[in-house]
Amino acid sequence: MRSSMPKILLGLCFSWLLAAPLTGAEAADRSVLVVNSGEASLSVIGLASQTETGRIPVLREPHHVMLTPDGKDLLLGDTAANELLFLDPSSFAIRKRITMADPYQLGFSPDGRMLVVTGLARAQVDVYEAGTYRLLHRFPLQSMPSHIDFTPDSGTAFVSLQGTGKLVALDLRAMTVKWDVIVGKAPAGVMYQNGRVLVAIMGEDNVAVVNPANGAVERRVRTGRGAHQLFRSPDGKLIYVNNRVDSSTVTLDATSLAPIHTYPIPGGPDDLVFAPDGRIWFTLRFARQVGVLDPRTGKLELIAVGRSPHGIFLGLPARPVS
Amino acid sequence: MNVTLPFDLVAGWLQQHAVLPLLYALDLMDWEEISFGWSLFAVYGLAQVIIAYAICLPLERWRPVERWPDQKAVSVDIVYTLIARVGLLPLLTFVVFTQVQYALNGWLADHNLVAPTLERLVPQLLGQPVLTFLIYAIILDFAEYWRHRLSHIFNWWYALHALHHAQRQMTFWSDDRNHLLDEVIGFVWFMAVALLIGVPPMQFPLLVLLLRLLESLSHANVRLNFGWLGERLLVSPRFHRAHHGMLAAGVRSVNYGAVLPWWDMLFHTADFSADYAQTGDPTAEEAMATGSYAAQQWAGLRRLVRTVAP
Repeated sequence: MRSSMPKILLGLCFSWLLAAPLTGAEAADRSVLVVNSGEASLSVIGLASQTETGRIPVLREPHHVMLTPDGKDLLLGDTAANELLFLDPSSFAIRKRITMADPYQLGFSPDGRMLVVTGLARAQVDVYEAGTYRLLHRFPLQSMPSHIDFTPDSGTAFVSLQGTGKLVALDLRAMTVKWDVIVGKAPAGVMYQNGRVLVAIMGEDNVAVVNPANGAVERRVRTGRGAHQLFRSPDGKLIYVNNRVDSSTVTLDATSLAPIHTYPIPGGPDDLVFAPDGRIWFTLRFARQVGVLDPRTGKLELIAVGRSPHGIFLGLPARPVS
Repeated sequence: MNVTLPFDLVAGWLQQHAVLPLLYALDLMDWEEISFGWSLFAVYGLAQVIIAYAICLPLERWRPVERWPDQKAVSVDIVYTLIARVGLLPLLTFVVFTQVQYALNGWLADHNLVAPTLERLVPQLLGQPVLTFLIYAIILDFAEYWRHRLSHIFNWWYALHALHHAQRQMTFWSDDRNHLLDEVIGFVWFMAVALLIGVPPMQFPLLVLLLRLLESLSHANVRLNFGWLGERLLVSPRFHRAHHGMLAAGVRSVNYGAVLPWWDMLFHTADFSADYAQTGDPTAEEAMATGSYAAQQWAGLRRLVRTVAP
């Protein structure tokens, strides 16, 4: 078995780059990429200026982005075009396109060896070999597979099935389904946290805490109607839960899962990124905007982008990685 | 200035404050992603209706071809328009079209075949939305010419399409006056062609709005032609009225084009005469012309059955 240490080290290195405070020059250098899923384009926004500096056309319906484990490419899935695009993670220039069926959510296993892709419209989850992007296995799953996360040992992927209310555990070594269990109405965001799987239940108002061994729902943490997606803060102390119907984000204590604070985020918050200055950039699906929240004050600034912004990525600094 | 912004913001407001709470209450949140597409489609559809009303109504009052003592028959056409542009059909479009498009394109991708799109054939079109849309529109209009012409050639098909022609009080509201089965056939036809050339449903909403406006205008009760050259570039109210003329109903009609008269010119079905014909179909039963929405639909079905099993 190949050691995954180099990739882990590289990952740590990139985590540092994303979290480290920036000098003015570095901030001016960096951009945020926003995926406008409703009008086939990508908005490039200056991190410091908070203004859109460019618009990149793509083919049909892009949704999510994911940095490759080596940090060299930013992957972008265009679902309706059946394309996976490779972008420069600093400049966002498109380097390459490959054919891939319905790439909706993208997730690399923690060891960096597999790319798991949910095809929400096609009711399938595909497992690709990272790097070659050769299809290793396809799981037909009813229905609407949407979000993914993994156990730290990369042995299991958890996928929410929005259409059937299930969470499914996929054994990535045997390529079999370990279990599928109903966890709530229209489950969406998935996060492996402290030995449990957290699932945002979009058709309800809570996050289900699931036992990864058997899928049993152990308890529910109320966050707000339309709980959609979960994000871990850079220091690992908080979990942000975006609520689609209530249009808010709620912070949970990452250890106890106790709700701490609710921020109203009008416009349908979806994905987010944490900026080095402590602020949080949200895509607002229904408002054609990105919201920049200062969690210390609750102040929300808005930046106009394209229709139905979905994925978002804080570009890497345009400097060689040492 | 971004012209689509107000439409998108209205659709966003609708989605946030009406559609999502409704889906949540009905346990249908799994459709939330697709539902925003419907909200956008419905808002652009409503905008089509309002803009068509604002432009066509003054024209109809200014230079009407015909004056009628009452316009009861027109009120049913308003129902058709609202169903077609704001309600049921946009919903069908999104639920069915997007799902079929995903499934077909995904299947092709699995077999290392990429569904054809103009932008892949001509990469320079990426980032040229207006030009790209115009090319898509020309191809779709060509397909629409043949769908329409075939609906006049096959008797069983015309049994349904006769509903569109039965209206003797043709106005800009009449564009969407179609039998539901005829709509379904038209939808499948459009879908097949759109899938073949990879048309994205909501990539060019403003341009779709413009084309639909032209189609409404072509049905307007107005003495209006676009001049010698204009008549040969775009379908005018005069040009399309010739298609709806009493004597042109049925198998031997003229001017089948929806937006462009080019296909009629190419296939020798164009009639550029200056007349403003009286509209209607003398072979259609009265219920098709003046009945309620349900009566018209039922009459269409009866005629279909009579044609298929005389």
